[in-house]
Amino acid sequence: MALRRIIKELKDLQRDPPTSCSAGPVSDDMFHWQATIMGPNDSPYSGGVFLVTIHFPPDYPFKPPKVAFKTKVFHPNINSNGNICLDILKDQWSPALTISKVLLSICSLLTDPNHDDPLVPEIAHLCKTDRLRYESTARSWTQKYAMG
Amino acid sequence: MEEAMESEMAVMQYVVVELKNEGAGAGAHVAALAALCDVLAVAGDHLFYAFPITEFVGRLPQLVAAGEGDVPLFAARAIAEACEGVPLWAASFARYGAVEALRDKLLAIDCIELAEECLRALGIICKECPKECLRQGVAAAVLQFFDFVSMNKQKLVLKIVANVLSDFDAKDVDKAMEAAPALCNLLKSSDKTILDSAVSCLGMVSDGAGGSAKHMEKLYELNAVDSMMRLLENNGWKSLSDETLSHILGLLKDLASVSARAVKSLFELNICDLLKQMLTYYTSSHSDHDKVQTLVELIYHLMPPLEMCDHPTELIIAKKNVIIEQSRYVKQIASILTFIIQVAKSAALSSICYSCVVAIRNIVELSTPSSLVEVQKTVNLSSLLAGWLARKNRHIIFQMLNVSKTLLKKHQKFFVETFIREGVKHAIDTIVAQEKDAKSNRKQKGNNNLQESCLCFDLDLETSTNNTCRIDKGAILKLSEDIKRNFLVEGSAKSHHRFGCAFKSIKDFFSRLNYHAKAPPAKDQDLCKQLSDFSRQLLSDELPSTSNFEFVQSGSVKHLAGYLSNGAYFNSNLRNCQDLIGQLNEVKNRLQKFTHLALTVDNESSVKPLGILVEKLIDALHVWYDSFPVILADEQYTRESTMIPLRDSGTEQPTSLYIKFSRSSREEELDHYGRILPVDLSSTPESIEEVLLPEICKRTCNESAYKETIQEANGSRTSVGLRGDGPKSSRLKFSYKGTHLQSSATFFESILRSMHEGQTDLQIDPSFWDKEHKIKYRRRNKSKKISSQSSYNTQLSRVHEKLEMSLLKDPFFSTIFIGKLPGDLDESDPSYNFLFMLKVLEGLNRFSYHLSMDEKLCKFAEGYLQELDDLMVTISPIPRDQFVSSLLTNKLEQQMQDTLFGDGLIPSWCIYLVETCPFLLSFEARWKYFCLTAHHSFMTGEVSSSTETKKYSVIRSKILEDAVSMLNKHGSDTKFIEVEFDGEAGTGRGPTFEFYTTVSHELQRVGLGMWREDNTSQDCEAGFVHAPFGLFPQPWSSAKTSTRWISLSDVVQKFKLLGQLVARAVLDGRVLDIPLSKAFYKLMLDQELDIYDISSFDPKLGKTVIEFQALVKRKKFLEERTSKPAADLSYKNVRLEDLCLDFTLPGNPEYELVPGGSEKMVTLDNLEEYVSSVVDATLKSGIANQMEAFKAGINEVFALKTLRLFSEDEMERILCGEQDSWASNKLEDHIDFDHGYDTNSPPVISFLEILREFGREDQRAFMHFTTGAPQLPLGGLASLNPKLTVVRKQCDGKVDDELPSVNTCRHFFKLPPYSSKEIMRQKLKYVIKEGLGSFQLS
Repeated sequence: MALRRIIKELKDLQRDPPTSCSAGPVSDDMFHWQATIMGPNDSPYSGGVFLVTIHFPPDYPFKPPKVAFKTKVFHPNINSNGNICLDILKDQWSPALTISKVLLSICSLLTDPNHDDPLVPEIAHLCKTDRLRYESTARSWTQKYAMG
Repeated sequence: MEEAMESEMAVMQYVVVELKNEGAGAGAHVAALAALCDVLAVAGDHLFYAFPITEFVGRLPQLVAAGEGDVPLFAARAIAEACEGVPLWAASFARYGAVEALRDKLLAIDCIELAEECLRALGIICKECPKECLRQGVAAAVLQFFDFVSMNKQKLVLKIVANVLSDFDAKDVDKAMEAAPALCNLLKSSDKTILDSAVSCLGMVSDGAGGSAKHMEKLYELNAVDSMMRLLENNGWKSLSDETLSHILGLLKDLASVSARAVKSLFELNICDLLKQMLTYYTSSHSDHDKVQTLVELIYHLMPPLEMCDHPTELIIAKKNVIIEQSRYVKQIASILTFIIQVAKSAALSSICYSCVVAIRNIVELSTPSSLVEVQKTVNLSSLLAGWLARKNRHIIFQMLNVSKTLLKKHQKFFVETFIREGVKHAIDTIVAQEKDAKSNRKQKGNNNLQESCLCFDLDLETSTNNTCRIDKGAILKLSEDIKRNFLVEGSAKSHHRFGCAFKSIKDFFSRLNYHAKAPPAKDQDLCKQLSDFSRQLLSDELPSTSNFEFVQSGSVKHLAGYLSNGAYFNSNLRNCQDLIGQLNEVKNRLQKFTHLALTVDNESSVKPLGILVEKLIDALHVWYDSFPVILADEQYTRESTMIPLRDSGTEQPTSLYIKFSRSSREEELDHYGRILPVDLSSTPESIEEVLLPEICKRTCNESAYKETIQEANGSRTSVGLRGDGPKSSRLKFSYKGTHLQSSATFFESILRSMHEGQTDLQIDPSFWDKEHKIKYRRRNKSKKISSQSSYNTQLSRVHEKLEMSLLKDPFFSTIFIGKLPGDLDESDPSYNFLFMLKVLEGLNRFSYHLSMDEKLCKFAEGYLQELDDLMVTISPIPRDQFVSSLLTNKLEQQMQDTLFGDGLIPSWCIYLVETCPFLLSFEARWKYFCLTAHHSFMTGEVSSSTETKKYSVIRSKILEDAVSMLNKHGSDTKFIEVEFDGEAGTGRGPTFEFYTTVSHELQRVGLGMWREDNTSQDCEAGFVHAPFGLFPQPWSSAKTSTRWISLSDVVQKFKLLGQLVARAVLDGRVLDIPLSKAFYKLMLDQELDIYDISSFDPKLGKTVIEFQALVKRKKFLEERTSKPAADLSYKNVRLEDLCLDFTLPGNPEYELVPGGSEKMVTLDNLEEYVSSVVDATLKSGIANQMEAFKAGINEVFALKTLRLFSEDEMERILCGEQDSWASNKLEDHIDFDHGYDTNSPPVISFLEILREFGREDQRAFMHFTTGAPQLPLGGLASLNPKLTVVRKQCDGKVDDELPSVNTCRHFFKLPPYSSKEIMRQKLKYVIKEGLGSFQLS
């Protein structure tokens, strides 16, 4: 069942690709994907290309996929291991969601960090108190790790 | 030999001659005596026969007294040696003044050697003639130089004193008192054994003094009170030995009873606080009724004696003055009063209750009116009074009447009002009526045979010569009429009115509920709303202020029960199945509504209405004290608090009863039996019938009739519906002394009952066991009528299969539907209604999540809820321990202390309560019950004694295989299993424990195919399945019984191993380390699981399945009730087809839910089939083989059904022990403190302290709240990743109003810096408790 669904999602992605991201299996293993996310224009991540790994559990879509950034990101909700703190990847997951929706949510998380419930409190603190410094650091990280 | 003897005799001759020679010098005497000692020291029996003792008895004491130099020393030694050889000689020596001589030498203390020799001699003599020794003042003498003698001799001294004082005549009291000063000094000793003996000696002195005021005053002057209180204070009493503590309490009691000065000192030293601590300790965790009795007696004696005892009036006045003069003392006794009332409330024995009651009366007499009003407000004394007045025990009634009278005297206006409200007046009226009745009956019939053990003298110290009971026949009537006439005359009209008002509104409400219950399901929304508004108001506003008496009298319980069971309680007549299903749905609706009402609160601080209701019901149940009589045989002992092992010692012959069965005179068909049968304590008419029936049917050639009889009995047995708990039809009727015996009650209980009619708590007379009891039997008339009850049952069982919610198949719901408790409890018993109601409420509380979720689903189906995300349960149940009745728990504990309990001296109410209403009894009590009765359920005939063990050796590398073969070999043997690891040195407990731990770990390995999550936990390096919500079996399709690696038969075998392991662990008291899920435990306990249980072990799947189910219901509703098209229903705006689900089990594509399921797609139209097959595969068919094997594994050892008296949480406690999920000393190591905190911040210190104080459940809840899962990975807190981090929560407003919050991704716990530890604890407890309910689905 999981496989059928994953194949369907892949087809949907190919037929109707989202504007700012793309995704597909790494090799023959349909349960292991890689995706790229373009840094949103209205964010300090603009211009960057971020690599994301996706692992589907065997009981997908009843369980959420495991999604993590491979590229380093300076963001209150993404830690140094690339783990993302996003409610739809945890308790708010629902079989009605798809990888394409998840990727879009991550895009919007890049634009609007959630500093009330941070994964990296230091960055959240900075983001709240000194927005400019946060943005410049994020920009320089993007240049350093996500471009070229 | 002969030679030796001869030489010994020669020495003897020489000694006799030498000693007789008075003129001989000291040196010669010494030499002779030394020779004598040598001979005596090595002499055998033969010598003592030949020994010329008459030559020495007079002479040796003389030499001790008057000898010079070393002569006394050797003379004393000779006496000692002689007496050691032949103790009888001691008396002869004593006659010749040896005691005086030795005493004098001791007191002269010329040299320490001599003194010690004297002690040795006295040590032996005092055993033979303690009275003589006492009169000679030995007790005081030996103590005189206590500090100078060696350690060993000090112990000897105390032994001598104990011997001398052990049993002395009243006339020797003065002599005994001489020892008191030295003994009192020894109370300061730091040596425990010295202290123990000194206390015990003082106890003897005081016992002998028989409460004489003069001597007690003397003891007081010796600072006895101070010294003893010093031993007790600062928890010192906990470190004293049991016996010493009893002695000290006894001494204090003796002192307090006669000395006003002692009372003053005791109060000054804060005795009341101490008493409170001890009472709490001995009534709750360390139940010990002897201690409680002593403590209550001490309290009684602190107070002035009551006027009915013949004490000198000066003492009464003196004690009164002591207490009344100081206002703090008055306060102290007021606080002790509330305490002792609690003790009396849950006292399991009439004797303890009586003592409490007398003490209460005593204190009430002294208290001020205002403090009594205070007491009434805190513990509701009046309500308890009403309960006590309804008991059968006349002594308690009499004393309670006295208390009532005193209360009225103290503050008439206030107490008249409360007495009416709480039913005391009603109780007194009843007593007057009953007594008048009894009086007129007596006149007609002569003496009534009410025998009750008299309690009047329990508290008196001196044995009075006049031992007649103080409560004569008319006393109760006289007293109660007196109270009525003087205090309770009608005229307090105002209060009466208010009483009537509350009473009426409660009564109205419940009868209205019931009116609706009888009417057809209400369609009118307004009416429903009105009713629910009204109930809310009533449950949260009126109920708390309603007295128990009003509550009971209003008949609310019966009405509510009728409402909730939809009138089935009153036996409804149903025509067909359709009707019944309608009825059941209506019952479900009502339960849901009521659950919602009873568990919702307006604000967080107020108590849930269900809690209040349960409390009231339990209080009301306690009024029927007499329905649960404790029956005691002679011997009792205090059992250890933990009861492992469960094997019966079983070496002795089990106690049995001799019963002579004979034919009733009216019986003609059956044969005469007439023999005496020894019968087990646990046998009932039902069980004996099988033995008896063939015997008495045989000779009547009426063979066919017999067959018919048997067949009929068998036939009806199978036809019983619902879980087969119905009564067997019996063919014989038994009677004892003309009264018919209940077929399910044991013979012994029935006989005992009828022998002691009118009494509640029984003490079995030893002669009972020797007597032969005559029982008559006859054929039972064929009963023609088939009760409507049974036809209802059959219908119900037929409907059962069609039920939509499998939840409704749970025994709890059967109980409600039948409107009757299972088993055959006497329904006319006044406690029955309360038990039934409590059972219903307990189930409702237990299933509150299920009921509430189901209700939400229905609301969604009907369109009241729009979003699937609104399917959330917002109520949480009340803690299960609120259902525990302290009184019934105490009674069971008391009953279990009887030595014959294991043999079957179990009153039927015990069995009944444990089986039907286990929630009323504390876990500890039930565990004890299980241990004491478990040996009946062993699968092997013979039960070996507790010490036998059987050794096995296992190889570590193939531990699972070895465990399988070992447990199969051991089978149902009840011997202990002891394990050693092959090639390792250790044996015994350690390796055995490790074996259980290791095997339970091995069964959690990834790749065994046993558990869910097995294939999903990729990131588990350790190779163990990590199930955050506990382990639950992974479903296996019956069509596909093996995969590439594993076959189902392997998995099934492992489950059987787990079952055997579990059974062994329970039996041997071992602990497993395996986090089984609550749902798995439920299956183990034979409870039904349904769709709502899935989220307890797999929240995400559970949530989705419930949402699908909601869609199914919505679709059905739209199709059936409206014309709206259902086709455009979608799942969160996604068409079901687009979810791309096929008919395979989620996570297991090889498990096809229907044949060809991998090609069948899920659509809106087949969603219902999909949901039910997923649920079925997950909870039933997919795991049936595994569960069967697991249960079979347990059943090999003992009957699984005996575990049913535990809840799933308790099962876990039994199996996995109380081990903490974190080691409390390493807490700091595994928690980080950051963002405003470090390990030294005061809030962090408090926080850590609170965590350490948390019990297992709280810890679990805390972990659940913080990490989102109750189960830590194997390895506990240390292996939590990321590490648990406590950070400071930024608070804008008042810190103490904030609640802690969490980030479950990062494992952050955000803690506001509260102003105190207490507030922090409150808030923590609140969030972890309330947080949980809403987490079920997150």
